[in-house]
Amino acid sequence: MMAGEMRKSALMAIDEINVSAEFDFVFEPHLRDPGGVVAAYHTACADLIREEQVDHIVGCYTSASRKQVIPIVERTERLLWHPARYEGFESSDNVIYVGAAPNQHVVPLVRHMLDHISHDVFCIGSNYVWTWETNRVIREIVTSAGGRILAERLLELGEPAVDHIVKEVMDRRPPVVINTLVGESSYAFMRALHQATSRAGLTIPMLSCSLCEPELKLIGSAASVGCITSSAYFESIERPENVGFVARWKARHGADSNPSVDGLSTYVCVMLLARAIRRAGSADVAAVRRAAANHRYESPQGPVWVDPENNHCFLTPRLARSVPGCQFRIFWEANAPERPDPYLSSLDLSTIGRRRETSNDRVSTGSNHLRVVK
Amino acid sequence: MVMKDEREIAIVRRQLGRLGITVSEHDPDDPPPPKDAADVVVFDADAIPIKSDLAAMWKTGAPIIALIGTETPSRLKWLLELQPASFLVKPLRSAGLYTALVVAFDCAQRRAEEANYVDRLEVRVRSRRVVFAAVLQVMNGHNLSEPDAFALIRQTAMRHRTTIERLSADIIALGGMPNRTTRSA
Repeated sequence: MMAGEMRKSALMAIDEINVSAEFDFVFEPHLRDPGGVVAAYHTACADLIREEQVDHIVGCYTSASRKQVIPIVERTERLLWHPARYEGFESSDNVIYVGAAPNQHVVPLVRHMLDHISHDVFCIGSNYVWTWETNRVIREIVTSAGGRILAERLLELGEPAVDHIVKEVMDRRPPVVINTLVGESSYAFMRALHQATSRAGLTIPMLSCSLCEPELKLIGSAASVGCITSSAYFESIERPENVGFVARWKARHGADSNPSVDGLSTYVCVMLLARAIRRAGSADVAAVRRAAANHRYESPQGPVWVDPENNHCFLTPRLARSVPGCQFRIFWEANAPERPDPYLSSLDLSTIGRRRETSNDRVSTGSNHLRVVK
Repeated sequence: MVMKDEREIAIVRRQLGRLGITVSEHDPDDPPPPKDAADVVVFDADAIPIKSDLAAMWKTGAPIIALIGTETPSRLKWLLELQPASFLVKPLRSAGLYTALVVAFDCAQRRAEEANYVDRLEVRVRSRRVVFAAVLQVMNGHNLSEPDAFALIRQTAMRHRTTIERLSADIIALGGMPNRTTRSA
């Protein structure tokens, strides 16, 4: 589903650039769909560069697909504009990372959990790199704050059988569940857990750093309500840039269609690219990369600009709760766009969610610059 | 080669062939082959899920050259459990594999030598009690001070071309210094 949302958003941005008087050039899109088959991304990318002579590639949702594309864009000096949030610990000169780095989506969510919900958490996720690394970050922050990971359960990607985990959650009744499942597994889990908790008259808070509006619809109106979600974009952001974007989106895709964080991020990729080309006066990769650096764009999700230190973007973290009507109600947003920290080298654990009794007897150890593998 | 990506397999196979190394390919989803089936394992660290039991089964065999794509701490921690002797960062090129092999073999040899050395030290630590008992026996039997008793045992062991530990065991077994003409080595 995400690939489709991203393609729709990219094409919408391209059409807007092409009719805009602000840009004296037009984009010619060349579409390739490797269909999630990891090895096919290398071939598709090579084909785009060799046959279509493209300089800039927008796309890749999973890290596995991005890792296939990076060697080619590095060898041929092209730029990949990557829209998806990811687990961090990467920084290629030939990638502009427009999705959230872990400090922009995982850390705010865990901080909120420690400050307002619980120090003890049950983790459930899909068995792949994003969950592994997100869970590691969660574990590092939670244990440093004196909390506990009650369990870490993994399901294979796409696995819809969730009953055994729902049963375990119902038996153990954890104070909070962090859900890093993706796709059908996540939808099935949220429906089944909602059914079980409703029957038992229970409320178990659920946290996510990936849920988006189109997914709320797929989950269903009842089961999708109440999930605390961390994201740099929600449809409900009340900025004029976003109100206009949502109206254009609905005019183009239908009144009952909703934008999503990954779609919007793809739109932002194209807009950042267009602005960098305009500023550089050419589509040349080195010139565009220089022009994109620190060039502020007032996007629907707020001001966005590329940090030339690591080619990731300044973004505004937000927390929201999913509400009836398949929407999110935002209850927190950062005061200003946050610097991307893909290696979490500025993460100061001593400042996050310390339990009162442990915060007194331990002197602050300060920031640990290298995320040491423990 | 415990790898999945066909392009990378082709690069490694070709380069190992040039170096005169016989290659066998192994599916990462299968359990490892017997311990002595290979002298070195080229192992794609991204090919096995982190929470899989398969990883531990590779640990005690031949030295591992890890191919690294994902540099997340969770993946690197998992990798350290395998105690790789060397590594290469993907995407692979023909250059680098030779260095990785040399470092891996050197690392494996040093590890074997160190393990051997530790084994010998452990034997000596374990026989400390025996040596102490032998020194006491010689002190009493020959009316010697402790330094003199130990010196006598050491000299006798050298003359008999045996170790202090082994001679001490003989002293305790015989109830005194062994006959000077016998050689226990």
